[in-house]
Amino acid sequence: MNVSTKIRDPRPSPAPHAPPDGAARPDFLGFGLGLRAQHYDEILNGNPPIDWFEVISENYMLPGGQPLAVLERIRERYPVVMHGVSLSIASTAPPDFEYLRQLRDLARRVEPKWISDHLCWTGVHGKNLHDLLPIPFTKEALDHVVGRVQLVQEFLGRPIVLENVSTYVQFSNSEMTEWEFLSELSRRSGCWLLFDVNNVYVSAFNHGYDPLAFLQGIPADRVVQFHIAGHSHMGTHIIDTHDHPVCEDVWELYAAALRRFGQVSTMIERDDNIPPLEELIVEVDRTRAIAAKVLSPPGRHVG
Amino acid sequence: MSDFARQQGEFQRGILASDDSVLAELLDSPKEKRETLFAVYRHAYSARLVEAMRSEHELLHAYLGDEAFDQMARAYIASHPSQNANLRWFSTALPDFLRSTKPYRGHPVISELAALEKALNDAFDAQDCEVLTLAAMAGFVPERWNDLRFRPHPSAARLDLSTNASTIWLALKSEETPPEAGAPAEPCRLLIWRQDVTPMFRELAPEEAMMWDEAASGIPFGVLCSMLATYDDPDGAAARGAGYLHSWITAGLLAGVFGGD
Repeated sequence: MNVSTKIRDPRPSPAPHAPPDGAARPDFLGFGLGLRAQHYDEILNGNPPIDWFEVISENYMLPGGQPLAVLERIRERYPVVMHGVSLSIASTAPPDFEYLRQLRDLARRVEPKWISDHLCWTGVHGKNLHDLLPIPFTKEALDHVVGRVQLVQEFLGRPIVLENVSTYVQFSNSEMTEWEFLSELSRRSGCWLLFDVNNVYVSAFNHGYDPLAFLQGIPADRVVQFHIAGHSHMGTHIIDTHDHPVCEDVWELYAAALRRFGQVSTMIERDDNIPPLEELIVEVDRTRAIAAKVLSPPGRHVG
Repeated sequence: MSDFARQQGEFQRGILASDDSVLAELLDSPKEKRETLFAVYRHAYSARLVEAMRSEHELLHAYLGDEAFDQMARAYIASHPSQNANLRWFSTALPDFLRSTKPYRGHPVISELAALEKALNDAFDAQDCEVLTLAAMAGFVPERWNDLRFRPHPSAARLDLSTNASTIWLALKSEETPPEAGAPAEPCRLLIWRQDVTPMFRELAPEEAMMWDEAASGIPFGVLCSMLATYDDPDGAAARGAGYLHSWITAGLLAGVFGGD
């Protein structure tokens, strides 16, 4: 049995609502790329046509040295967004305030447009598995995560952005779909959503549901960022390796996401097998071109 | 304990201890059994940590080769579950692990190579700090020099090696065949630091190593010169001390001076 089969009728999207403390929806940044150390020199010595960069927060949560010095120079020239992998927002372990303090210190230094992480957990009992682990979509888990998001947002003094992760297993005790969970989480906590197009594709394939159902189930006014990435197909399941070029199916789903969510800050995310910068710029250009095509009024030619 | 917390504990045990109890709470997918799907997490856990260790210890990896390095890494992973949210610090205890664990402890060059790489990694992202300049030193009148104390740059660290690990490091860095592991008669005294953004190390003679260690612990220049006088020609001690100091300042090894006013 699959969790998605428990849904009889697609639910209407929750009504738009004001985020906590009246926080405004983050600006549209255009078409960006994940900043990777392999490209530092080329970015700093050139002027690549990239609108903004997303940085992995943990790579800069360091005492000092070259990474922070480079980031300082990048942020002088490009808008920067901080994307973490260790917030472990859905963990039932006590909150890691030392991590949060370091994250807040980095944010004060970098002044990112927003701070994102994943709807997942990374460990309990004092251990870190350094993986984006899945959760059961239960009311109990939802209450827990809502409380954690509120705590983190209060600590950081701003709403956070949470991303859907690729998952390989589903829990038999789930009471709702992932998109219902994310919608409720965003509605109750005021967090924004990062819609990872590849992760939706991967999870939909792995669990046998229609990725468009996921897409339709997410409130359009809460999505502030897209991730576009590649994966490894294993035949019976897909592993989210972020080490391949974006495949055609994911490009198609991106176009569908644009039709559903409208203009959203978009970026290419490559975490492994990092190719030369120009290869990734081709993908960034494609995100821009598809958006121009999908979002332009009918009959109007986009140059 | 909540059901959610219990479930996370079981999921984690499933990954770390190959305990299959959590499978009872998972679903098969339309195309694959839950055992295979859960194995993705099990595999990813050790693969990611091994990869992180390869990245932190690139030259130890080159020295041992894929198979021996990965076997060593998996033994470390099993005995040192990650306790820090940031993967950057996962390998921190590797030199101690290699120094104290069979079979690696029988080959001290391995732990010393790891210790040197760790020291260079730590220097790479150590705290930023202004460095002491020769111009700043010129502001002190000669009669105050005896009272001057020095603050090392936050990236500076000392390492004493009993093997030729630093020679092996240099060969591996140049992609040359490293020499046979061996133990020189005298320990190899290294000073590791970051100059601008580049981690560096150099070997110190016994006298300079002594002066650095004492200076780093806050001993004033006048006393340092008296100590140097016990190592070599007493009449040249102050000049030698001033020479070492000059080289440290130009290399960006000192962050500050105090006590001269």
